[in-house]
Formats: sequence, structure tokens, C-alpha cells
Amino acid sequence: MSNNNPYIPMPVQISKIINEVDTNDIKTFRFTFLNKEDEQNFKYMPGQFAELSIYGKGESPIGIASSPTDPGYVEFTVSRAGTIVPGLVTAALHDMNEGAQIGLRGPLGNPWPIEFLEKKNIVMASGGFAFTTLRSLINYMLHKDNRNRFGEITLIYGARNPGLLLYKDELAAWEKRDDIKSFITVDKGDDTWSGRQGNVPAVCKEVAPSPKNTVAVICGPPIMNKFTQPVFFDLGFSKENILTSLEMRMKCGIGKCGRCNVGYKYVCSDGPVFSLAELEELPRDF
Amino acid sequence: MLKKIAIEKISQLAAVLMEKGTLLAPVKEVSGHNFAEIKDPKQVDLDFYNTIMSPKGAFFPHKEDFVKYKIGKPLSEVEPAVLNLKPAFLFGVRPCDVKSFEIMDIHFDAAGIIDPYWRFRREATTIFGYAYDLSQPVDSADFYNTLGIYAADPEGSDIFMVKKDKELLLKAITKKGENLLPELTVLKDGITADEKYFTEYVNKGKEYKTRFMTLDQEVVAKKLEDIFDNTDFWTKMSAACLSCGICTFVCPTCYCFDICDDTLFGKGTRRRVWDACMFTDFTLEASGHNPRTQVYQRLRQKICHKYSYHIRKYGVISCVGCGRCTRHCPVNIDIYSIVEAALKA
Amino acid sequence: MTDFKKIEENLKTESRRLLKEGLVTVVLAYGKGFDENHPMPYAAKTIADVDSIVFNEYCNYNMARYLVRYPQGTKIAIAVKAADSRAVIQLIQEEKVKRENLVILGIPVQGMKNPKTGEVIDSKTTCGMYNPVLYDILLGEEVHGVKSASPYDVLAEYEKMDKDARWEFWKGQLDKCIRCYACRKACPMCYCDPCFIDQSKPKWADKEPQSPGNMMYHLTRFHHLAGRCIDCGECSRACPVDIPLYLFHKKVAKECEEMFNQQAGMSIEDKPVLVDFRVEDSDKILE
Repeated sequence: MSNNNPYIPMPVQISKIINEVDTNDIKTFRFTFLNKEDEQNFKYMPGQFAELSIYGKGESPIGIASSPTDPGYVEFTVSRAGTIVPGLVTAALHDMNEGAQIGLRGPLGNPWPIEFLEKKNIVMASGGFAFTTLRSLINYMLHKDNRNRFGEITLIYGARNPGLLLYKDELAAWEKRDDIKSFITVDKGDDTWSGRQGNVPAVCKEVAPSPKNTVAVICGPPIMNKFTQPVFFDLGFSKENILTSLEMRMKCGIGKCGRCNVGYKYVCSDGPVFSLAELEELPRDF
Repeated sequence: MLKKIAIEKISQLAAVLMEKGTLLAPVKEVSGHNFAEIKDPKQVDLDFYNTIMSPKGAFFPHKEDFVKYKIGKPLSEVEPAVLNLKPAFLFGVRPCDVKSFEIMDIHFDAAGIIDPYWRFRREATTIFGYAYDLSQPVDSADFYNTLGIYAADPEGSDIFMVKKDKELLLKAITKKGENLLPELTVLKDGITADEKYFTEYVNKGKEYKTRFMTLDQEVVAKKLEDIFDNTDFWTKMSAACLSCGICTFVCPTCYCFDICDDTLFGKGTRRRVWDACMFTDFTLEASGHNPRTQVYQRLRQKICHKYSYHIRKYGVISCVGCGRCTRHCPVNIDIYSIVEAALKA
Repeated sequence: MTDFKKIEENLKTESRRLLKEGLVTVVLAYGKGFDENHPMPYAAKTIADVDSIVFNEYCNYNMARYLVRYPQGTKIAIAVKAADSRAVIQLIQEEKVKRENLVILGIPVQGMKNPKTGEVIDSKTTCGMYNPVLYDILLGEEVHGVKSASPYDVLAEYEKMDKDARWEFWKGQLDKCIRCYACRKACPMCYCDPCFIDQSKPKWADKEPQSPGNMMYHLTRFHHLAGRCIDCGECSRACPVDIPLYLFHKKVAKECEEMFNQQAGMSIEDKPVLVDFRVEDSDKILE
């Protein structure tokens, strides 16, 4: 059922479900395309998102967590929304099993600006659930075909407690590599935790990456972003060299439904990736 | 090419158009006129000032079905809605409303992603523009002159119509109009005097004055950016606002929509439905965060979207001065006055 | 007839005084619109703001609608006509505002007009009373000796219809609804946040303007207002497609009055009929 209608999703099947956290409310869903043609047309880059579509429930825009360097499937890490606003789609998805079919519309939005990042050092600061599209970026950059296109790669990633860290196996694997410096931290450790403790802004301050030829990508919950950005400004990063990804309520994902604008930019089609310099030009309406 | 018909015989013209396709024309309803699909040629009524709802619904209906689905069935059984691509005729559109279609075209075709529903309908439709009756007084809410539009502008219509006493003159403006007009055999050929009348009428339209202010796009876009954080100004402007959706629903250039799944007994339809930035839950995120909880934030969004963001994004003001939002606002909020006040703020 | 100019003068004088003496922080009244026939609801917060206050036959707005926008405890002066004063009373009954925080500026008036049609609407779409029920300061002469029509007179035609005819009538009327929600937004008693119709879980009705969802929205809203509607007619006036919502509200109000011998918003000592059980209450509702 391939089509040229941007509102009609293509069918995909859940081929794998990974429970990411010990609270069981964040899972990674791996989807394979039911039509070969759709798979070929779904050309994405890290930082883009797609609408996960469940008929009868609606659609939900979710960042792509897999990297295009891993062909044959696409992954999304989905948090079960619903403490305040009932998240119909995410709840339904969490209740599904491997083998179930849903719809997918995308890829949507702009990716992390790979050309801009090339030949530069990359520092990523991320927290909790907001890490998903950075995981895509890391796996993309670490791929053997791409690794030498980028300078030093540094990751500072934290969660409230060890159980809430995403992609635990990959984090462990990255810590063993020498082509990525990773600083994994938790606000508060437990008996099993022998790693670093402290929040992301504090660790950023401690790691103190040099701004020279470096781009910082800050992508965390609003409160983390708020306290992390000043740390990077203090380190001498310019607003042009700090990138982030915005969230707004979206529906169509293709810049038509008028919902996700911040000033004259639609987050879905002009974003979701923005530099702080670009955001400064826009009204504080998000 | 200019043709004509007696206004009392308008239903004959309607009947011919109905044979050729779908006819959308003004119909008198209890509360006023509205565009509707004509079932009986006698329904067409050109004795109106302007319709309550704008004609945007001809291309962007209040609800538009995407697909029909069944719960628990494979996705291969989903049936996409089939668009009726019969030729359509949108009859009796005022010049300011005709202009709105061009503004909407830019948005629905933007960034290489073409909205198929808008595009298909737009291409299948011939527009019969209709000059305002210059012998009637202008409504105090209108301000299309401010947007550079005049009461008898034929531009944008495929066929443009003016009233001459008891006759209706029809002139082909575009190729589409040129092709259609000769096929409408109920029409009589216009004579030289009719040509002269038509040209004079179009010119006279420029003298038919609505409210007017000098508006420099760049200046107003910049000014609204500058006063975005002037909460006092926006609070004052929105003090009366009820935050209902009338202004956006009657507006010819408001295009916000929601996508809804409606399921009953295991069968459902996914469709888009008009939405309004004036509604509280418009920007309510699943996290519970809502960037626009206050009425002033929502009214500010609406004004800035039309008179600033749209200029920055597409190079045009998203307003044609038709006056509907002002005319139908239950508390008489006037967008013209707000823009005027913003320029002075 | 009502001297509108005189009332406007008094309204301005009292507003200036109340703001000057610091007795209130805001006066909810009527202000200049884009022309004389289009006044607007207005909130005067400074003495200078008072200059823009107006009063004429098109000031239909029920300013009680705006009371719940201000934090509890705000000292507010509010201009009220007869039905509006009943809305204030009802809001006091429902503990949405406190009597001691209000200065009620009563406006006795007859001859209010529908701005679209110019037609006098006193008892047709509103409660038919001329004098405010509750006020602190009266801004004009009370209207006496004018025979006011019963607010229920307009129900005569409606009541002639049988059950099936009424169903057809409402189905036809509610099919027109475009779901702009102006009715609930103009209503002083519709203060729920979120309104049931905006909830997604449970989702009570579809969003698009078609029959089942429209019915769900309006019939539920009608019943949420049973015994609470004070018949100001603002919902019907706000409606862009002229659905005569007032007919349903009046019918329910009439039934309520017959069953419970109480009209909405007539005394701050009353409780809303549907939350107040009395042994002598009619059992008709159960029959």
C-alpha cells in the first residue's frame, strides 16, 4: 500500500520490543516494513522523526532512535505518556506484542546537521528519555564508514537513577571504546551503581569540553536544558555552535496543520533541530 | 469574451453547471447566506452581501476523510477515501475571498509537500468571482482595501461576474474561463456597451472604500515581533476575548486542522477536522505542558500568525480583510483595530 | 424608556470613584468597539480606562462570564443587567466568587437589542426581567409598571410539538453547529476546565461538526446547565449559525421551576436545585 499521500501511513510490523527501564514505561520498538518499496523510500538521517500511527487511537510524533547505518529496520523509543494528558497512541503501542502491525509516516523534519558537524568535535549532553535521536547520531558517527568524518566525540548522559538510563548495553559498549569519550551519570546511584553521580550540568562543568572547533548538542528535559546551556556558554561556546531539538504538539508533521509553530517556524518541518542562535530569533512561545 | 444572462434566469445557468459537475453557490439559510452544494438550481441566490462561512470549505472542507479502517484487521484492508474529481464550479465568490485562495495555495503547496486534497479540489474547480454590489453600502467590518484588494477585482477568478441592472455579465479571465464560457449555452453574447460597463465597473470598484490603513508588510511584521513580550498590550487586546473558535472558522485564510480517528463498533474513519488556535487544548502536549494557557497568548498567536509569521514564512499577510472575524465575533473583537493599535504600541 | 446616556454617565462616575478609592482593582463593564453599534466587554483597571466605558442598547454581554478569570479574592466591580445579576448570584451559590469581593453595579434596563437584527430581545431570548435582582449601587431608575412578558412565552410554539417533532427540530438545528464552542465560552455558567467535550479519555464525542458529536455536545451541555441557566441568552446571541439554544434552556428552566419551585440565580441563600435535596421535591423526574 505504497502511496504518495503524505497523510496516509505505510504499514510496518513490530519485530522486536526492548524494555529499556525498570519502571517498564519506556520501550524501544523495532519496526520492519511490510513493503520493500516503503523501506527503500524511507531514507532518514539521525535527528528526524516519524508519526507512529495506530488506527482508532491516532498518531504520535516520535524521534527515530536507530541509525540509517543499520538498514532493514527502524527503531523508536517510546515513553508511555499519560500522567496528565492521556497518551492514547503510546499506551496502545506499549500494550502491543511483537508481530503486531501499525502505521508509520515519515521520515519527517530536519536531521542533525551532519555537514555542519563534519570535521568538528562533537559534545553531546543529554538526559533521560530525550536521548533517543542522539543515540541515532552516535551510532551513525561511530559507524566505520563515518567515524573519520568527525573529530572527537564526547557524550555526557545522565538519568535520575541507574534504572532509568536508556540503551544500557550500548552505553557499556561505548565506555569500552576509545573513539568516544562517554560520561554516564545518575543523579542518585543505588547498590549496583559504581559509576558517576551528579546531574548533567555539573558533569558538563567538570568535563569542561573546549569550545574550539566543537559543536555542543544539548538534548534533555527542559529543566536540564535550562541549567546546561549556561555551562556551555561559560565554557565559551557560541550560540551558533549549540544545537538542540524542540518539542511541540504536532499533528500532521509536514508543516500543514498549523499547530507546532514557534514564531514563523514550524517545529515539524523547519525543525525540530535548531541552534540556539536560531531559537533566539524566535519568540518564547514554547 | 463576455457573456450575459438575466438574473431571474440564473437557475438556468445553475442547471447547466450542475450537468457539467458539482456546483457550489450561495444559498440563503436562516441566519444568512452560505456556500452549499446545489441540489436544486433554484437554490442559487446571488442577493447577498457576503457569506457567513468563507468559501475555503470548497477546497478545505470542515472535515476531510483520509481513510476508513477496521479495528483488528490488517492494514492492507484500510481504504483510502476516494476524492470526487468531477469538475466543480464555485459560483459567486467575492474578490477578497478569491484572493484568499492564492494565499492558501502557497501554504498547502509549501516546501515541496503538496497537500493532495487541497490541490485536487483546487484544480478541479472553476471560480466564478462576483463583484460586490457597488450601489449597496459597504459593511463597517470590511477592510480589504487595506490588503490591496478592491470590490470588483477580477484577478484570481476564472470567470468574473458583475451585476448590470437585472443582468449578470460574465467575463472570462483565465484560460480555464475562456474554455468554459462558450460551453454555457444559456448565456447570451455581451454587446460593446456591456464590455464598457464591465470595464467601468471594475474601475469604479476602486472608489468603493472600505476601512483603510496604510500597511507596510515589513513594518507590521517587525512591529509584532517587537511587541511579542508586551504582555500588557496583549492582555488589554484580549480582555474581552472568549477564546471561542468563530473567528478562525469563518476566516478564509485560517488553515489549522486536527487529525482525528473516529471509531464506532470497530469501524472508523481517520479524517482531518478544522481546529482553532483559540482553543485551550490546541497546543496541549502529551507531557501536560501547554505553551499557550492564557487567552492573551492565543489571541497573540492568531494576530502574529496572520500579520507577522506568515509574512516571514511565505511573504504575504494571511488576511484578505473580508471582515468575517469582526462581523461574527460574539464580543466584537476587531482584528483591524488590533493591528492598528499594535502599530502604535 | 431607558436613558442609556444617563446610565453610561453613572457607570463612569461610580467606576472612577471605586477605582480611585481603591475599593476594587477592576471594573467589568462595556467599552468602545470599532464603531458605536459594536461595543465590547471591557475591563477598566485604571481611572484613565474609565473614559472608554460605554453603555447602549447593544451592550448585551453578560459580564459575569469574566468573573472566574480573576483569582479568588480579587476585588471586582461588575456592571449587571437583570439576567447578569442572576448569573452573579448563581456563581456565588456555586462558590465561584464571594459576595464580599464584589461591588455590583445594577443596571435596570428595557429595550436591549440584538445587534445583528436590531430586534428587541428583552424576553425573547433572555429572562424578561428589567431590574437587577442583586446590586450594591443602582445606576438608573428601576423599571416599574411595564408589563413584562413571561420568559416562557416563546416556548408556546415549541411546546406544541410532540416528542418526535422536537427530536427532528433539534436534530435539524444541531446539525448546523460548526463546533466553534462560542456558546459555552459566552456562558457565565460554563466554567469547567477542561470541558467534558475536550477530554480525550474518555472521549465523549467526535470533534467534527456532524450529528452524533453535535448532539452529544449540546445535549450534555443543556443538562449540565439544568437548574443553573439564568436565561441571559448569551449562548444564542454568540452562535454564528443562529441555533436557538435558548429554547432548550428555557424549557429546562420551566420544568425546573415547576418541579422544584425555584428559579436559578434569584437568591444567594438558595442552593442550585440539583444539588439540594428537599423532601418535598417533585418526583416527576423519576417517572
